[in-house]
Amino acid sequence: MGNRQHPSGKLGKAITVAVILGLLASAPAMAQARRVVVIKVDGLPYRMVERFVHETDPRTGKSRLPWMKRLFYDQGTRLANFYVRGMSLSAPSWNLLDTGQHLQIKGNVEYDRYTLYSYDYLNFFPFFLNNALSRREDMPSAELLDELGIPLLIDAYGENERFQSYQLNQRGVGWLTLQKALTNRFTSRSPRELLDEWTMGLDARGLPLEQFEREIVGRLDDPAYRYLDYYTTEFDHATHHNRDRDTHLRALQNVDALIGRIWTAIERSPLADETALVVVSDHGTNTDERVYSQGYSLIELLRSAAGGGHHVLTKRRPLMDYSIKGAYPFVPLITTTSKESYYLKDESADYPTALLDFDGNERASIHLRDSDLNLLHILFQQLARKDLSPQVRQAANRAFFATVERRRAEWEKMLAEMREELGALRREIDRQSAMLAVLKSNGATRSESRRNRESVRLAARVSFWQTQERGYAEYIGALSRLLALRGEGFDPRRLKVEELIPRRSMGDGNTIHQLQNYVVGVAAGGLALAGDGSLDMEKSFRRVDYFSLLGRITVRNNVQKGIANRPVDFVAVRVPREALAGALNADELPDQDAIWLYGAGDRQALILARQAQSGELSLRYLPIAYLTGQADGAVRFQRIGWKESLPLKLWEDEKLRAPESDRARWLNEWHTELEWLRAAHETEYANAIIGLHEQFARHPTASLDAARPGLSQDERLLARFRARQRRLVEADLLILANNHWNFDVRGFNPGGNHGSFFRVSTHSTLMFVGGENTGIRRGAVIEEPYDSLSFVPTIFRLTGQLPNGEITPALWQDGFRQFPGRIIEELFDPAKQTPPPVAGSSADNR
Amino acid sequence: MNTATPLQKIRKALCALLVIILLLPAARLAALAQEAKQPDADAEGESVTGFRLERLPVAEGAELLTIFGKLGSDNGGEEAPLLSVLRDTLGDEERENDLLRYVWTFSYTRPTLTQRAAAAVPFLYNRVGNKKSAGKDAPPPLLDLAASRQAVWNKLFWNALQNVLFDSGGFAVKASSRAYRRNHSDYRKAHIVRALAILSLYQSETGAEPVFTDVEKREIGARLLLTDKALGGYVDDIYLERYYQKQSSETLDVRGHNWELLRQRAEAEKLYFEPLALPDGSATHALLWVARSDLERYRGRRFNGRFLNIANPWRDGRLRKWKGYVETRHFDAESRPVPPATPGAQAVELIPLAIYGLDHPKIPILLVDFRDALNPKKREASRRATEDVARNVLLLSRFGDLYYFLGRAVYDFVTDRRGVDINQPSRFRAYSQLKLLLSLSEGIAPQLREDVGERLERVSLNPLENDTEAEVKLARAQYEALMEYARRPDGLAAQIERDRGAEMVKLAHGRAARVFLRAANILSFGFYTHREEVTPELRARLGLNRALAHHRRFLREVVKSTPQIEVVWNVDEVRRSLQFIADHAAEVDGDTAQLAARVFAATEDDAARRLALDCLYRINSKRAKRELVKVYMDERLEARWRELSAEYLRLAVREQQRISSSDVKAISLTIGH
Repeated sequence: MGNRQHPSGKLGKAITVAVILGLLASAPAMAQARRVVVIKVDGLPYRMVERFVHETDPRTGKSRLPWMKRLFYDQGTRLANFYVRGMSLSAPSWNLLDTGQHLQIKGNVEYDRYTLYSYDYLNFFPFFLNNALSRREDMPSAELLDELGIPLLIDAYGENERFQSYQLNQRGVGWLTLQKALTNRFTSRSPRELLDEWTMGLDARGLPLEQFEREIVGRLDDPAYRYLDYYTTEFDHATHHNRDRDTHLRALQNVDALIGRIWTAIERSPLADETALVVVSDHGTNTDERVYSQGYSLIELLRSAAGGGHHVLTKRRPLMDYSIKGAYPFVPLITTTSKESYYLKDESADYPTALLDFDGNERASIHLRDSDLNLLHILFQQLARKDLSPQVRQAANRAFFATVERRRAEWEKMLAEMREELGALRREIDRQSAMLAVLKSNGATRSESRRNRESVRLAARVSFWQTQERGYAEYIGALSRLLALRGEGFDPRRLKVEELIPRRSMGDGNTIHQLQNYVVGVAAGGLALAGDGSLDMEKSFRRVDYFSLLGRITVRNNVQKGIANRPVDFVAVRVPREALAGALNADELPDQDAIWLYGAGDRQALILARQAQSGELSLRYLPIAYLTGQADGAVRFQRIGWKESLPLKLWEDEKLRAPESDRARWLNEWHTELEWLRAAHETEYANAIIGLHEQFARHPTASLDAARPGLSQDERLLARFRARQRRLVEADLLILANNHWNFDVRGFNPGGNHGSFFRVSTHSTLMFVGGENTGIRRGAVIEEPYDSLSFVPTIFRLTGQLPNGEITPALWQDGFRQFPGRIIEELFDPAKQTPPPVAGSSADNR
Repeated sequence: MNTATPLQKIRKALCALLVIILLLPAARLAALAQEAKQPDADAEGESVTGFRLERLPVAEGAELLTIFGKLGSDNGGEEAPLLSVLRDTLGDEERENDLLRYVWTFSYTRPTLTQRAAAAVPFLYNRVGNKKSAGKDAPPPLLDLAASRQAVWNKLFWNALQNVLFDSGGFAVKASSRAYRRNHSDYRKAHIVRALAILSLYQSETGAEPVFTDVEKREIGARLLLTDKALGGYVDDIYLERYYQKQSSETLDVRGHNWELLRQRAEAEKLYFEPLALPDGSATHALLWVARSDLERYRGRRFNGRFLNIANPWRDGRLRKWKGYVETRHFDAESRPVPPATPGAQAVELIPLAIYGLDHPKIPILLVDFRDALNPKKREASRRATEDVARNVLLLSRFGDLYYFLGRAVYDFVTDRRGVDINQPSRFRAYSQLKLLLSLSEGIAPQLREDVGERLERVSLNPLENDTEAEVKLARAQYEALMEYARRPDGLAAQIERDRGAEMVKLAHGRAARVFLRAANILSFGFYTHREEVTPELRARLGLNRALAHHRRFLREVVKSTPQIEVVWNVDEVRRSLQFIADHAAEVDGDTAQLAARVFAATEDDAARRLALDCLYRINSKRAKRELVKVYMDERLEARWRELSAEYLRLAVREQQRISSSDVKAISLTIGH
């Protein structure tokens, strides 16, 4: 009897045990950080952290990076395979990391094709000046994301809960920080130390960084602060300039020491147990001790006769450090004039025909003026000549209007839509201006500074809209006049070309056909007639095939071992989905635009994408050759089998985790993005297939969706307008540099570069460590590959703001929506197993 | 009738003195009789590319470390002595009390009378011949690493003398003295650059166990680099490593930028670019070539000479009739240079156009123009001439004439910003390195090397310089002389003892006396230096003092580098240094006590903390006790540390150690006796 228990007692015990087990099981899920400190290190490759952490400093007997070793290797968790999703370029990469949403910013600089308005996401100087003048509150990238309704990670925290250092997605300028930086520099050192510093060279760049550190350390004592970040580009600068190991190590050791100081302050703070320290980077970097990164000037190519004789616009001054004007920090658009222009000599101010963005330097984006505008411009000039024979004049006249007619429907549609959109924009400007007036006058319910900030933000937005409105109005005015022309009595000598061909505009993007037959001037023999008396369009014009041109570039000075003499790896362009309809089988058809990768005539590929109803993205790589664009927009190509040297070099890459026995079959199939990531992330191009898709895809957001229910007519038009604006910044050509090549012309970056889809450039750093109650695993390394989209949801999971993967009402209120990225669950849950790689394969077995 | 005022007389006397100093060989090192001891050279490992280190013990406890390098094959392919460093070991095995002293580069020599006279001739931008014989005297050291502060004072003194006295002595005195000082300074700097290059090469090349520790290597490098700075000799030792690394990074940064700039310019102008590397593979120079076949192909082509600073090769008749050096190279389909037998290799006959130095700030600097021998010289002389005319003829000074100051500032900004090849900082660094490259590199064809060498000599602006061939001979002779000096009892050993005597002044005299003795040294132009007599007791104290300095420096570096010592440093080393300080607490001051307190605050290692408190107790100074009081007062600390500090304070009070009255009061009130 003694060992017998009442059934209810057993039940009670069972329940108790169950509750305890339940509590234990859910313990990791319940643990959460109350505060996050994020150290953002621009361009920090994981491989370099890994290398130096495992090296022993003979002087100390400890790791060369002792703090990283202790915190992230021994006491925390690191991701061995964390990648930027998209180009390895700062503005887009931080855009992904800071929002957790798909890519909206596609370059460090973006140009509006119609107006040449440049979105320069990297230039701090205009922002600081405008902020000082109360004209701007946010960096351009933050402004754009606001416009698109995408909140930043810091927006999840109130102004008194967060501390943000100077960075690309910056909100506000802490002027006091700058002031204190200066005073503290002198008061925190003895005269002897100051004298030594002066003798050795003052480090002006370190001035604000030192102050940010002080301010973060100071704020850690205040439990109200829940989010603090520190952004540094010092390491990125070091690797751009120098390739040597010692420079890299020293730059990294500075970061390591900073981490140590901040962690020590965290440990001494009241929230030590509930504070997480995160180190994250936006991309890796392609640097090699044995090699200087070699530059190639695309400006010179585009300016040359062979390249089309373009006047080229850039947002970075060529050889900036070698010019007097380069000292001017508020860089306007820079025009590099061509002396070899075929038809626009001395007209570079009005008619630049190429826009170039080469930032990051392992890639460049090129916008070329709509080839048909070139054609019309040339014909206009020819018709203005007095020495044309009547037959040629008549033929040229017919060709001019035939070209206009060919584009009429498209342009008229665009004009009609834009007029509607600009009308809605005008009404919005009026509404917001009225609101601005109210906001300025009525601050009773808000704090003074917050009210000011909101009014500055609104004023900046209204000012931006007004600029856009003027620019677009000019463009559509010229195009409307062009469409209004009639062939009868058309006499260009009585007209000014700028009234018909918009000045300083690229017009619409070029089709593949146009890029393969791009009109750059009149043929050497002048306009020629066909047998039927019409203008012979082939013989009358000089044309350039840009794919062939770029693919053929070689250099004669090839003095470094292991470097190709071809600066261009491949060119990527968008192929409209409709253009592929006749060329693909039913099972190959994508449900969105495809990407054409051009390596050479016989080495090309298409990346096809489709999305399941669940939202899951599937991608397919189709090897092809000799793709040609047709005048009607369709494309034709030759299918080829898998072989070496295709773009992204998947076939020959031993690290591709595809079934050894049937690699071709695996490669010929559709795979989800996760399958691609797991299979390819260790290859030379890592997650390039996903990255290219991210770069080229048009990612919908609520504020870009004109079909969203419940919108007013004006809201609908404005959503369409915003979507159009995003399309207008899309470049014609994305050019990827070969290994150890770059397109920098602002100066020289012999140390290394990034921007490409090479693994060395996309493989980035993400490491966590936290106090006892944060739930972060200790001494863990996560092998499962993740990308930048996982960062924000994981931070929110860490802080308990994403329970069960659902957004809390508070976050919803702040504008946050479902995150597309996977939460890094292994960070918290030791039981979480890394899923196996693609069935039947193992790169390790090779 | 003599109407000279006393001031004029003094001026004349000083000028005469200056002339004597200029013309006299440098003051000979005095001799102290010592027991002769035949030193044995001990060769360390030789690297693959021919660097070798020789260690020579010197009497009285020192060693002379000499780096040898293998010369290029046309220089005989033999090795030559390049550089020596003297390490004063005090005759024991303790590394902590070692002191690095003199650095010699063997091509750095005392100029001849003719060279000195020529160096004092204004506007003479030319060499005047070689020094034929090194003589039997010990070579002049390039730098005394242990007396860097002395160099600052000397420099200040000579500057003051120049401005106050010589500049007011008329054109001849002013221009001559300035020309001489400038030439002398450039000559020395050129050899400092070479010393840095040799050290850097040796560091990267030798496979043997390093003879210099990392700290020593960087200290030598940093001290050499800091000779350029007005107050460089005063920079705190703990910054030397950082400074050396920073400067090295900047040099490599500049080199990489220039490499790439030149490659791109060569590419754009259809020329051929060839980096020229030192034996360690670092490309410090580059050669530009033009293909003979391209001369017709691109005849009349436009040429952008910006940055290249040479005449348009496509419109140059001289090249079409070129009879000078040519070389046939072979390239594969990817434009890589390949051996002639490579299948598909294409032969290209190349004509050399120019050699550039890549370590020059901002732009690659033109050193040799194969078509116009005077082109680089004109460019180099432009800056010298501008400065000399402005200062000596027009009597303009940046500090005395606002308009000149502004005009010059604008001119300098524009030329510097745009990277104009004239009016740039002097090329002597690049020349100096090129000479070294020509001596050591195997990659340059002998005929071309000879051609370049001859051109370089013609370009040199400095009358004090010797040509490469003479330098090799002088280096060997000077090395022999140094060895002989090291072997002589009244030679290097005696010099070391004298230096120790000078070093002991700080142990024997207070601050005020030291200031007085220093002033006497400067005002006597260095002829008088006060030295203590080296007694065994003082020698022991010197060793201890050096070791304490070593441990203090280490601990200062430790506490400055991290908030938690044991994460970053080997805590055993920290404990060892603390123990050493505690054991010799009588010899240290309040600064060291403060250092021990900082170590205590930055570690959680029990033993290190105990030792730190032990130091504070044993150092008999008010600051040490103040730090102990602070520890006791810190309520965030564990009780045991506060108790231990209290115990130490009680003991200190009982022992009547130096404690401030306020601290005594605090102790008696809170801790009790």
